[in-house]
Amino acid sequence: MSKIHDYSGPILEIDKLSISFFTRLREIPAVMDFSVKVAPGEAVGLVGESGCGKSTVALGVMRDLGKNGRIVGGSIKFKGRDMERMSADELRDIRGNEIAMIYQEPMASLNPAMRIGKQLMEVPMIHEGVSEHEAYQRALEVVTDVKLPDPERMLRSFPHQLSGGQQQRIVIAMALMSKPSLLILDEPTTALDVTVEAAVVELVKDLGKKYGTSMLFISHNLGLVLETCDRICVMYSGEAVERGDIETVFNNMQHPYTQALFRSIPLPGADKNSRPLVAIPGNFPLPHERPPGCNFGPRCDYFEAGRCDADFVPMADVNGDGEHETRCLKFREIDWNAPIAKAEQKGKAEVGKVVLKMDNLKKYYEVAANALFGGGEKRVVKANETLSFEARESETLAIVGESGCGKSTFAKVLMGLETATDGEILLDGQNIEHTPIENRDTKTVADVQMVFQNPFDTLNPSMTVGSQIMRALDIFGIGANDAERRQRMLELLDLVKLPRAFADRMPRQLSGGQKQRVGIARAFAGGARIVVADEPVSALDVSVQAAVTDLLMEIQRNEKTTLLFISHDLSIVRYLSDRVMVMYLGHVVELGSTDDVFAPPYHPYTEALLSAVPIADTNVEKKHIVLEGDIPSAMNPPPGCPFQTRCRWKDRVPGGLCEKEVPPVRQLTEGHQIKCHLADAELATMEPVIKLAENKAAE
Amino acid sequence: MEPLTWFGAYGSSFAPLLMVLITLAVVCGLCAALLAFTNSSPATSFSLFNGIAVLFLLLVGFSYVYSGLSGAEGGGMAPSKLGWFLATIAGLGVFAAMLARFMGTFFDDPAAFAGTIFKWAIYGVGAVVALWLLVTLVWQNAAHKEWLAGLDPAAMPAAEEISQNEAVSRLHSRGIMASIFVRFTPVWISLIVLFAVSIQFKRRLGLYGKLFDSVIGMIGFGLVMFWVFTAVYVGLFDWIATHPPLEQVSGMKNKVPGTPLRGATAEQYPFYLLGGDPLARDIFSRMVEGSVIVIRIAPMATLFAFMVGITLGLPAGYYGGKLDTFLSFLANLILAFPVILLFYLLVTPEIVLTGLPQYMALVLFLFPLIFFGVLINSRFRTQPQKNYMWLAIVLIPLFLVYASAINDPGANSKIRFWPLDFFDIPGGILVVFVSVVFVNSPTVFRIVRGLALDIQTRDYVAAAQTRGERPWYIMLWEILPNARGPLIVDFCLRIGYTTILLGTLGFFGLGLPPESPDWGSTINEGRKLLSIYPHPALPPAFALLTLVLGLNLLADGLREESLKD
Repeated sequence: MSKIHDYSGPILEIDKLSISFFTRLREIPAVMDFSVKVAPGEAVGLVGESGCGKSTVALGVMRDLGKNGRIVGGSIKFKGRDMERMSADELRDIRGNEIAMIYQEPMASLNPAMRIGKQLMEVPMIHEGVSEHEAYQRALEVVTDVKLPDPERMLRSFPHQLSGGQQQRIVIAMALMSKPSLLILDEPTTALDVTVEAAVVELVKDLGKKYGTSMLFISHNLGLVLETCDRICVMYSGEAVERGDIETVFNNMQHPYTQALFRSIPLPGADKNSRPLVAIPGNFPLPHERPPGCNFGPRCDYFEAGRCDADFVPMADVNGDGEHETRCLKFREIDWNAPIAKAEQKGKAEVGKVVLKMDNLKKYYEVAANALFGGGEKRVVKANETLSFEARESETLAIVGESGCGKSTFAKVLMGLETATDGEILLDGQNIEHTPIENRDTKTVADVQMVFQNPFDTLNPSMTVGSQIMRALDIFGIGANDAERRQRMLELLDLVKLPRAFADRMPRQLSGGQKQRVGIARAFAGGARIVVADEPVSALDVSVQAAVTDLLMEIQRNEKTTLLFISHDLSIVRYLSDRVMVMYLGHVVELGSTDDVFAPPYHPYTEALLSAVPIADTNVEKKHIVLEGDIPSAMNPPPGCPFQTRCRWKDRVPGGLCEKEVPPVRQLTEGHQIKCHLADAELATMEPVIKLAENKAAE
Repeated sequence: MEPLTWFGAYGSSFAPLLMVLITLAVVCGLCAALLAFTNSSPATSFSLFNGIAVLFLLLVGFSYVYSGLSGAEGGGMAPSKLGWFLATIAGLGVFAAMLARFMGTFFDDPAAFAGTIFKWAIYGVGAVVALWLLVTLVWQNAAHKEWLAGLDPAAMPAAEEISQNEAVSRLHSRGIMASIFVRFTPVWISLIVLFAVSIQFKRRLGLYGKLFDSVIGMIGFGLVMFWVFTAVYVGLFDWIATHPPLEQVSGMKNKVPGTPLRGATAEQYPFYLLGGDPLARDIFSRMVEGSVIVIRIAPMATLFAFMVGITLGLPAGYYGGKLDTFLSFLANLILAFPVILLFYLLVTPEIVLTGLPQYMALVLFLFPLIFFGVLINSRFRTQPQKNYMWLAIVLIPLFLVYASAINDPGANSKIRFWPLDFFDIPGGILVVFVSVVFVNSPTVFRIVRGLALDIQTRDYVAAAQTRGERPWYIMLWEILPNARGPLIVDFCLRIGYTTILLGTLGFFGLGLPPESPDWGSTINEGRKLLSIYPHPALPPAFALLTLVLGLNLLADGLREESLKD
C-alpha cells in the first residue's frame, strides 16, 4: 500500500478541534477549540496536567475515541486530507503506516504471546505486503537502529524477557518499522527510570532526525519537552492556552497558567527557605464544572471579574506573526517580568540531635527455587549492602536511586515489616533491627511512619477519610474515646489544610493531592518523629506537587520531624533536602550535604543521574551523559563495584580494580563520602553537570 | 364443568394480532441477524438487493401465517376469518407506514431497519398482552352477569349456587394464564412497590441503586425477587398455592392444565390450573411450594460456603507459603472429587448412620462464628469494653443457633448434648445443606485467595502494616471490603449454581424425601411419563430456569454496573 507522497505542506493540521465524551448523565467536553500544526520534521510538544485533554487529542488524531467519544467540531487534516471524511479502510491504512503511536506502558503495547521479531515483521507485511525475508531484514535494521544489543537474539525473545527500557525501545522500533511521517508519543518515558528515560529520549531525538519524522510529543514534564521539541503547546482544561516556539514560550511566556506552572516546579535556584515554590491555588476544574469565560480564571492571580469570566476567550496573536499565541485577554497588561511576590521567608530549622542511626545494615533475601519442598538451589538477593548513615531531628535526608536500588527494602526494614540480616538500626539509642512490627511498642510504631507514593492506592477505598485517620489514632492509643479522637482527627485535617467536611467523604471523592494530604495526616496521627516519604509527590501533577511538598516542609518545621525523602527526582531533592544519600543496587554510593552532592566531585553514578534529569530552564547548560544498558538485577549483581557495568570512568582506574573489588567508603570532605575507586586527582577533574548560563548567573 | 382455556374468553380476539406481531418479530429478527452477519457495512447495490430480500422474506412470512392459521378451525380460540384478514392488513399497514417513515434507512442499511421493526414488534407483543390482560380482568364478570340476567326471576337458585357459578364463570372468562396471573397478585404488588421505591431513591442506594440503571440487571432482579416474594407468601401466609402440595384428588391423575375438580367443595379451588401429576396432585401448587425450599436452602448454603471460603481463603492469600500450599491442596482435592459421587456417599444410609453429616455440620457451621468473632475482635482490639459488648451481642445468639442446629434429639443422632435445643433441621435437609456447602466452599476459597493476593500489594495494606495492625484486621477490614465487587457477583452466580445443584440432588432423589415439592424432585417425577404427559415436568423446569436466569442476569447487571462509575 502506497503512502501519500509529494506533499509539502504541514503533516498534521488540527483546526478548532472539539472532542466530547458522552456519559449517561451528560456530555463531557474533553477538548475544546484546539488547533495545532506540525510541519515536516518538526517536533511539537503538548504539555499539561493530567485531565487537560492532551491524550484525547492524540486519540482523536488516531480516530480511536472509543464508543462514547466523538469529534463534535473542527477538523483534523493529515497531509492535507481531512481525516473526518476517510473511510474505515483508509484510516486503517494510515494507522501504523503513516501515523504511529507510542504509549506510556511498553508492556501493555506488546503482545506477550508473540516473539518480538514476529510483532515487528507484521507491520511492513500488513501495510506494504513485503516478503517475510525482507520484513526480517527491516526488523533487524530497525532494532539495530534503536541501539539494542544483540539484535538477532532480541528478535527471538518474548516481551517479558526484556527490561522496561528495552521494551520501550522495541515499541519505538515497531513505530519506525513503516517509516511513518508522524509519530505520536504519549508520555513515552513516564514508566521508566530517569537514566533510562534520558537514553530513550536521546534515541527518539536522533531517530527523528535520521528518518525525518514529525513528532507530537505528549508529556507533563516541561524539562523533557524542552529537550525534545521545537515548538510547544500548553494545554489547560481542554484548551490550548499558549502556543509557540519553545524558546519563546519558555523565556517570554504570555499566559498566567504557563507562568504559574514554571513557578511551581523546582528549578535550580529555588530553595525551600529563601525562595519557596509557588503552588497554583485551587483545584483543576472537572470537565463538567468549568467556569464561564477563561478556564484558568478562578486560579489566576490576574483575574478580573466581569472581564475574564464574561465570554469565551479566543486565542490571541502575541506578535502578529502567528508564531506565538495565547488564550489570555490581559496578556498585554500583565508585567511578565515582575519578580515573584516574595513569599514569607522561613528560617531554616535547627538540626537537632541524632534520632536514627543505621550501622552496616544488611538485608538479604533467600529465594528458593522450589517453594513446596524447600529443596533446590537457593539464591540470595542482596537488597541492602552495608547501609550506614545518621539522621537528625528536623533534618531532611533524601534517598535517591532508581528502581531496584533497595530503597523500598530499606524502608521496610526500618518500619519493622522485615527484619535485618545484619547490622544495626538505632532509634534513640535502642536497637530495633530485629524487632518485627508486632513486637514493637505503640510508641515506636507511632514514631516511625510512612507516606506512600501512589495517592490512588494509599487510602482504603471502602472507608471514609475520617474513620481511617481515627483508626490510626485508635491504634496509637490517642484519645480516651471516640469523641476525643474525632476532635483530634479534625485537627489533623486542619493541619494538612483540608476542610473538615472531608472527614465524611469517601476516598474516591478526593483528588490525588487531597488523598496524599490525608495520607500525610494519617502518618502524623501518632506524632511521628521519623517519616519515610516514599516518592510522595511523583505521581501528582506539577501544580499540586509544590503544594504537597510545602505542606510536608511546614509540618516538618513545626513538629521537628526527621524526614527520609525517597525520590528519583533530583530537582525536588535539591530543593528540599539537607543531606542526600545516593543508592545504587543496594549500596550507598554517595552521601553528603545537598551542596556537596550537587557539586563536583561526584560519584560517577550521581553525575549520570544529574545529567539525566530534564530541567525546564533554557538558561541551564547540562553536560550530556547517557548511561548505556540497564540496571543489573539484584539477584545477579556484577562482581566488584556495582556500577562498573555502566560507568564511564571505569577505564581511569588502573588494573581493572572496579571489576574485582567493591570500592571502600571514602571521606572526601567532612560529612561527604563516596564509594569509588577513582583517585582524588581524577575526581578533581570532574566538571559540574549543571551550569547556569552567564547572563543568569550575573543577575 | 367445562375445562379452562389457556387465554380465556377474550383470548381469541387478540390471538390474530399477537400471531402477526410474533411472526413479524421472528422474521425481522432473523433478517436482522442474517444481514448483520453477512455484511456490516453494505455497499449501495448490495443493500438494495438486501432490501428486496427483506421484503420477500416478509411476504413469505405473512402468507405463511395467513394460510397456516386461517385454516385452523375449531377449538376454543379459533380466530374468525374476518379478524384474521383485518389483522394481516393492519400488520402490513404498520409495516408500510414504517417503510415510508424509514425509507432512507431501509435502503441504506436493511439490517438496522429490520432491527427497528423487530424492536417495535416486540413492544407490540407486550402491548397486546397487556391489553388482553386488562380486557380480561375488567370484563371477567360479564359472563356471570349475563347468566344472572338470563335466569327466571321466579326460580332463583340458592345464593350458594350463584356465588359458585360466579367463581367458576369468572375463572372461565380469565382462562389459565390470567388465573395464574391473579394468583400471583401479592407478588406483583410487592414487586411494583419495591421497584418504585428503589428507582425513586436509586442515587442514594450505592451499588444496589445503580442496578436500576441497567435493563439487564433490572430484569434479573425482577425475576429473582419474583421467586423470593413467592416463597415468602407461600411459606409464611400460604397465599398463592391453590391446593396443599400433597393433596390428592381422585380422577385428577395426569390431567391436562385447566381440568376442573370433580365434586369440588366450596372451599376448594375448582380447577387444577396447570394440571395434575401422576399422583393426582396439583402441579401449580407444587411448583410454588417448591420455591420455598429452594429460596430457603440456596442462599443460606451459599452464604455458609462464603463464610468458609473467606475464613480460609484470606489467610491463605495473605500469608502464602506453607499454609497456602496446604489449604489449596485440600481445596483441589475436594474439587477433583466427582460431586455426584460425593453426594451419593454422603446420603447413603450407612454413612448417615455413622453421623458423618452431623460431624461435617459441626465443623462447617462453626465458621460463621469464627468469622464474626474474628471480625469484631480485630476491629475493637484496642477498646476492650466495646469489644466484649459486641462479641456478646453477636456471638451468644449465633452460638445458640449453632448449638440448636447441630443438635438433634433423634434416635440415630450422634450429637445431642445441648439442652437448649430450639429447633431441629430435618435430616434430609441437613444432608443436602452440608453437601452443598462442602462442595461450594473450595471454589469460593480460591476466588478469595486470588483477590487477597492481589489486594495485599496495595499501599493501604502496607499503611495498615506500618501502623502495627494485626493480620486479621488487615484481612477482614482492609482486604475483604475491597474485594466485595467480584464477591457479590460470584455470590449471585453461586446461588444459581446451588439452585441447579439442589435440582440435581432432587432429580437423583438424594437427600430430600420423595414427596418433597422441590423442583428437582418434581421434574424427575414428571420425566417418567414425559413422552405421554409433558405437562407435569414443564412448570418446575420453567421455574428453575427463570430463577437461575434471573440470578445470572442479576450478576451480569451488577458486574456491569460495578465497573461503571
